[in-house]
Amino acid sequence: MGKIVSPEFQKAAAEVLAVAASVIEGVDAEVAERSSGTSPRHVVVINALPDSWRNLAENLYSEHAVDYCSMVTGIHWPEGDEERKWEVVYHLMRTGVRDPPIEDGIVRPIIVDPSKLRGASIPLEIEIHVHIPDTTTPSVDSVQDIWIGADWNEKETWDLVGIDFDGHQGMRRVLQPHETPKGYHPLQKQHHLRYHGFEEMYDDVQGFKRKPADVGKIK
Amino acid sequence: MASSDWLDVAGWSEAFSGWSMDNVHNILPSSDIDMQVTIPNTWAWQEPITLGPIFNMQSGFASIQPALESFMHATIMCTVVFTTMMLTMLAIPYIERKFIGRLMDRLGATTALRSLWVGESGVTAGEWWNQLPFGMGAPIGWVVKALNSKWGNSHELETIARVNNRSYHGYWFLLPGFFQAFADFMKFATKEHIVPKNADKVVFEVAPVIIIATTIMVFAFIPFGPHIYAANPELSLLFMMAIFGIAPLGVFFAGWASNNKYTLIGGMRSAAQLTAYEIPLLITVLGVAVLSGSFNIIEIVDFQMGQDQGNVWNIFLMPLGALLFLVTMIAEVERIPFDMPEAEAELVEGWWTEYGGIRWGLMFAAEYMRSYAACILFALFFLGGWEAPFQHTLSDLPAVGGVFTTVFLLTPGMIWVLLKAWLLFAVFVWIRASLHRVRTDQILEFGWRYLLPLSMLNLVIAVFLRLQFWTGEPWELWVPAAVTLVSGGLFVILAIDEDKEALEIQRRPYSTQAVVKASPGSHRE
Amino acid sequence: MAEMWISMGPQHPMTHGLWTLKIKVDGETVVDTEPDLGYIHRGVEKICEARDFTQITTYCDRLCYASANTWSHAYIYAAEDLLEVEVPERAEYIRLVAVELQRIASHLMWLGAYGPDIGNLSVMVWCLREREMMMDLLQELGGSRMHYNFPRIGGVKRDLPHGFAQRARAKLKLFLNRIQEYEALFDESTVFLLRSQGIGYAKPEEMINHGVSGPNLRAGGVNYDIRWAHPYSVYSELDWVPPVERSSIKGADCYDRYRVRVEEMRVSASLVLQALDKMPGGAETYHEPGDPMILAKAPTRAPEGTTGAHHFEDSRGESMFYIAGGGEGRGKQPYRVSIRSPMFITIPYAAKCMIGYKVADIPAIMGSFDPCIGETDR
Repeated sequence: MGKIVSPEFQKAAAEVLAVAASVIEGVDAEVAERSSGTSPRHVVVINALPDSWRNLAENLYSEHAVDYCSMVTGIHWPEGDEERKWEVVYHLMRTGVRDPPIEDGIVRPIIVDPSKLRGASIPLEIEIHVHIPDTTTPSVDSVQDIWIGADWNEKETWDLVGIDFDGHQGMRRVLQPHETPKGYHPLQKQHHLRYHGFEEMYDDVQGFKRKPADVGKIK
Repeated sequence: MASSDWLDVAGWSEAFSGWSMDNVHNILPSSDIDMQVTIPNTWAWQEPITLGPIFNMQSGFASIQPALESFMHATIMCTVVFTTMMLTMLAIPYIERKFIGRLMDRLGATTALRSLWVGESGVTAGEWWNQLPFGMGAPIGWVVKALNSKWGNSHELETIARVNNRSYHGYWFLLPGFFQAFADFMKFATKEHIVPKNADKVVFEVAPVIIIATTIMVFAFIPFGPHIYAANPELSLLFMMAIFGIAPLGVFFAGWASNNKYTLIGGMRSAAQLTAYEIPLLITVLGVAVLSGSFNIIEIVDFQMGQDQGNVWNIFLMPLGALLFLVTMIAEVERIPFDMPEAEAELVEGWWTEYGGIRWGLMFAAEYMRSYAACILFALFFLGGWEAPFQHTLSDLPAVGGVFTTVFLLTPGMIWVLLKAWLLFAVFVWIRASLHRVRTDQILEFGWRYLLPLSMLNLVIAVFLRLQFWTGEPWELWVPAAVTLVSGGLFVILAIDEDKEALEIQRRPYSTQAVVKASPGSHRE
Repeated sequence: MAEMWISMGPQHPMTHGLWTLKIKVDGETVVDTEPDLGYIHRGVEKICEARDFTQITTYCDRLCYASANTWSHAYIYAAEDLLEVEVPERAEYIRLVAVELQRIASHLMWLGAYGPDIGNLSVMVWCLREREMMMDLLQELGGSRMHYNFPRIGGVKRDLPHGFAQRARAKLKLFLNRIQEYEALFDESTVFLLRSQGIGYAKPEEMINHGVSGPNLRAGGVNYDIRWAHPYSVYSELDWVPPVERSSIKGADCYDRYRVRVEEMRVSASLVLQALDKMPGGAETYHEPGDPMILAKAPTRAPEGTTGAHHFEDSRGESMFYIAGGGEGRGKQPYRVSIRSPMFITIPYAAKCMIGYKVADIPAIMGSFDPCIGETDR
């Protein structure tokens, strides 16, 4: 049978991490079970305040060997709660990889049976939600220096959603053209998709009813 | 005794020019004309020219007749050689296209044609002939079914036969694709000539001229047969290699003048590479000249052919030299594995990126002309030129010797040269299809550090052989045999360096890394 | 020669997609690089906010067009996490067959593009020829050659067609023989070893910190694969080991990355063969589309406050979808779909790997990381 990480031990490791993370001020962690396929996965879901995010990040990196930043997502909630007008969701992972031994200048991989992994070498998924209250300039501490993988993720988040990252070096547009006007972040909810309603899509598809005054209008 | 065959084009041309000039001479009046004419001086000549007092047209013509004859002869021969070269070169892109297609399991026009009657499970998808009105397509359907039953897919591995292109696909391999070369050339000829905005216009225009002109000039000295050559000076080999080596200058000009960073890099790489490989090439050719005792190409071929001269093809006496010539020529004509200067992967087209239209078409043709020249030279230097394999042995056979002698007499020598050249070009194509591109610094390292000493070694061997074992009589059989066996043995020993165990272990997921790096090349140690 | 910036792209035969790589060269040596992405940014994340959950699958196929099945399945798993759907086991097996066949096709495309980068033109035609076999199989499954729209929330669109198992087995058997031809052309060629060994070293710790995963990471000796680390689907039922290369202490070079992918093709082929053998109900039985054996009933609305996330082992690394529910139509459409593309993170890292090597090494290094710009720009 194919060897996979044992779910019970993954749950135990997740709980260890959640307990340790909850100790930090402003952080609230719990273990959630997600199911897909034949075995459940246990994910550490953390809610953190924006001020304690940096602390939490450093703690995770140094104490819990969370070495891999997967994704940074920015969400705009214009109709959400007061403390949750903006949200940044971080997905981090612990790969559980340690330094493999080196013989004759060649790396010998640690070939382990995944079902025998325990404790700190179990791969974990960590999902961190940072809620930002109502503001026109949302921003969160950057973790670019901890995980370089967060670098382009943060750039993309700022580019598309508009959430800034304090301490981020070299912030620039990555997915949109460099000359995109300042302040234009398309994934914010006030920008509506063209042809949002299907009726409009078929209205004047070829532009016969367009007038010179419509030049430059997006919708 | 110089070798000869019945296709004595040079002789015919000379005879014809002589005959026509003689006729002109005889027609002219032979009486003396009393005249005195003074042509005043102009900007073209400073001194006034005085004709007379006696002017005899016939003897005047007789004094310039040799010059006119040789001029006419030269013109005819240049035309003949150029035409021969262009016509026989048509086989070169054809070989390349067809052979590479076979090597890549891609059949091009033959597959397209065959798809007219072959589909999945012997049923052509859509049965296209049924779309013709009035049921006109029914006979086509019968023909298709008949063709399918004979030349369709094999039914055992139906679903795999679609991709199993290994089987022989029928007799249509010859014609389709033959006229592709003409179509390509016409396309190039009709395209617009675009000069980049800030290009150095003079140099930009001069570069293709240098490349194309020198390449065509090389063919002036290459004899296609014992009597088919445009020029045959005593030192034709030196002339030819000198002209061959001018083209790199044109390449460098082209790279610089295009005002494009890619072409500049390509031009630099090309200049470095061609210079590096020019030297082992020349030393190898020098070895050939030493061994054959002459710098004249026809005499080199005669040396390999003549029963009272060498009587052994040079490849058996200098296998190392032949290999060196092959490798350096592939580098000189910038084919894979040495086509870094025009590598599409990084440089789009390298030094000729900015050229379009007829300039690019002719330079592209020039590259193939250089490959063709390389192949013919190999055939002339190492493969005995216009001698058929085992020509004397076969002719001396007791019973059937007469048949062979007749066949060899009837076949003009040019045929053998062409066959050998085309065969060698197929080897070039084979190498192109199988090997990867070597990086520029690796190419240079290979050229300077490996080929140059080897070519020196080759020269030493050639001198040694010539001095020690050459007595004026044909080579004794044991000399070439020994040289070939020793060289072959060394090649086998050095080339078989596979680590069988490592190759086996690579079959497992956790494979080994080759601890010993392949050499030559620098590896960022 | 002085240092100069050269812009490779956006129109360039090497770049495997539409992006610009600006390199600063000193003669032939690369001194600095700067990648510039976003040329085919189509705004998929924004579009998905206005589409029903079932309509989004087609967009995800088109994220990475060379590896369409892996992306649509990545999305489907995340959507099932959001909507809390249980998938029948037979559907999981069928999905595994589709994903692994797609992985083989994607790696063949990569190898077919990598050869000409280094100068070998023959292998492109050979790999595309084998890819045709995989495309035929995927066409039988999904209906088209490239964008299949194959998985549904709760299962798959339809069952394995009649005779699919027999054809797949025959084709994979042929394919496993053909891999040896590629290895002969690459591994036994000194020129290839010259061009790929010692080039583009990537250290595993750096890779992990940068967020590089998948075959690129496994080339560095790190045995990390989402399929066993954060398990999904039925990989636990099958006998397989992800291929890992032993690299040198300097890191993984292009040769290691190449070998990992060749071995991955073998592993994927064996996974498909095992799945066909072990399918519940047998690979030859056919269920109509919509049969509960292959498709479970799924809710169509996700109320606000629910989220779904899933990490997926894509052909190029770890891809991930994060979906926040509660969008238009009282939850029929997602509020936010966030897509993690492995190549978006790897390309800047690969650009860093090129520094210090020659210009001629750039296609070798870039090609060995297997970029696909469709998923990078989304």
